[in-house]
Amino acid sequence: MADAMQPLPLSALAGSITPGRKGRRSGGPGVLVEEVRPSGIATIIARQGQTEALAAKVRLDLGCDLPLKPRRVDSAGVALIWAGPGRWLALAAADHVDAPFAADLETRLSGLASVMDQGHALSLLRLSGPRVRDALAKGFPIDLHPRAFGPDDAAITLVSHITAHIWQTRADPVYEVAVARSLAASFWHWLEASAAEYGLQIEGG
Amino acid sequence: MRIPCVYCGERGHEEFAYLGDATVQRPDASSATAAEWHDYGYVRDNPSGSHRELWQHVSGCRAWLVVTRDTRTHAILSVEAARDVALSREKAAP
Ligand SMILES: [Zn+2]
Repeated sequence: MADAMQPLPLSALAGSITPGRKGRRSGGPGVLVEEVRPSGIATIIARQGQTEALAAKVRLDLGCDLPLKPRRVDSAGVALIWAGPGRWLALAAADHVDAPFAADLETRLSGLASVMDQGHALSLLRLSGPRVRDALAKGFPIDLHPRAFGPDDAAITLVSHITAHIWQTRADPVYEVAVARSLAASFWHWLEASAAEYGLQIEGG
Repeated sequence: MRIPCVYCGERGHEEFAYLGDATVQRPDASSATAAEWHDYGYVRDNPSGSHRELWQHVSGCRAWLVVTRDTRTHAILSVEAARDVALSREKAAP
């Protein structure tokens, strides 16, 4: 329902993320980046001893299996990403209409989990391109080689002193990264410098 | 030093925060003496060799871990979820 939609919070990268090319100008871009603006973001934390019941409810309502390892699942416009033991990040696709997302989840998962709206708390980027792994390797201290990290794998780690939550959405590869919005500008600075030698294409806007 | 988190796998120690000696146990608040509280608060062994320590994967999954570490070589001998250690201790207590 369109009238239930909430306005998206102002991007933490407004002013930084202007479409265009950064770094190397010759040839095609090595890294492509765009900001991801989910229509809703929430954390889900299982109540004591309720993980199994929560998984059953998620299967019933969202049609996917709650990941119990650092993985991502995706069903009907909602992605659930493991965010620590008993904790998940829930993202609603831009065209998801069950708004407000976090309040709806809270009602559905009542008694099984605590749900917190993170719509204003996180900044998300989608990264792709032929040199994306080389650029990420300059800061991500985890192995992103396909033998170690593939589609729907997720990890939380430290990049340039910034805690970053990363998951892969496609094999070609496409990654998404979430950082606290207060650190988004710092992360962006790191990314722009790290991708410069490959040519960074900033999309959307 | 690299610590194999039970949830995330092996990560560099810069992702973790050291949170103290895992061998001490908080005394029973209803019956502990001042001397027992003093020991709990201040007295620590300084072992050369294997030691059980609390670490938190603070820049990762945020879980508290009990890490058994050789203080001479930094070799990590075992890692357990602190939650599991606490629950099994609770179960063992009468
Ligand atoms: Zn961890």
